[in-house]
Amino acid sequence: MASRHPALEGYTRYRAVGQLAFLLHRITGLGILLFLVIHIIDTSFVYFAPELYDEAIQIYRSIPFMIGEIFLVWSVFYHGFNGIRIIIFDLWKPEWWEKDIAVKSVYWTLALSILAWLPAAYIMGRAIIENHFMGG
Amino acid sequence: MATKVRNVRPAVSSEARWWLWMRITGILMVVFVFPHVIIKDVIVGVHNIDLNYVAQVWANILWRVFDFLLLFTTFTHGMMGLRQVLMDYIHSATGRRTVTWVLGILWFVISLAGAIAIIGGVQQPGM
Repeated sequence: MASRHPALEGYTRYRAVGQLAFLLHRITGLGILLFLVIHIIDTSFVYFAPELYDEAIQIYRSIPFMIGEIFLVWSVFYHGFNGIRIIIFDLWKPEWWEKDIAVKSVYWTLALSILAWLPAAYIMGRAIIENHFMGG
Repeated sequence: MATKVRNVRPAVSSEARWWLWMRITGILMVVFVFPHVIIKDVIVGVHNIDLNYVAQVWANILWRVFDFLLLFTTFTHGMMGLRQVLMDYIHSATGRRTVTWVLGILWFVISLAGAIAIIGGVQQPGM
């Protein structure tokens, strides 16, 4: 028998953090898709049911939906940045999956997605306050 | 025991093609999704979006082309991604074929609704 633990061969340091990146990629992807299906349908109202379009948008202007929108934008940033990371590794640098950069790149991706998101979250948070708590 | 990266060259299967299309649509999406999200969600904001706003944006044919490519790349990527997730839980050949067909039909119908709206443009209520 060559090895009783074949799963433990090779570069194993990526596993724990890679699992986190994988899980976040799936959750954000499924969440974005759920919104996307609803969003394509509400946008198609401009042609199929224009009298309902502004009413549909009115739902997005409520506080819970605007808070959801802030998290949606982080999901898009994370999923996009992590996707770029996967594409670079898979298509051009497959050897990086076997090096420390595989682990470090996960932390970089998380940090960049949060850094890029913070100004967007600030502006969107300000819009909630302006539109819901400052009657004007 | 030395650990080595194996060089495996499997035959190009249909799953390999799904895998490649996830990456092709993924690259294309970067160009469309980030500008879309930053412009609509952050800069313009949902309180400034209504039927008139969409009509103004779509008055420019280039934005219609942009939105068409946005719709096509993103929704195709999303449905292929959902298929990939479901394939991790469904193992029978019949189940997998059913998932692929059901998602394919949903993809076609919803894409078609979006495409008709972009091509047909904004209608005035009550007309």
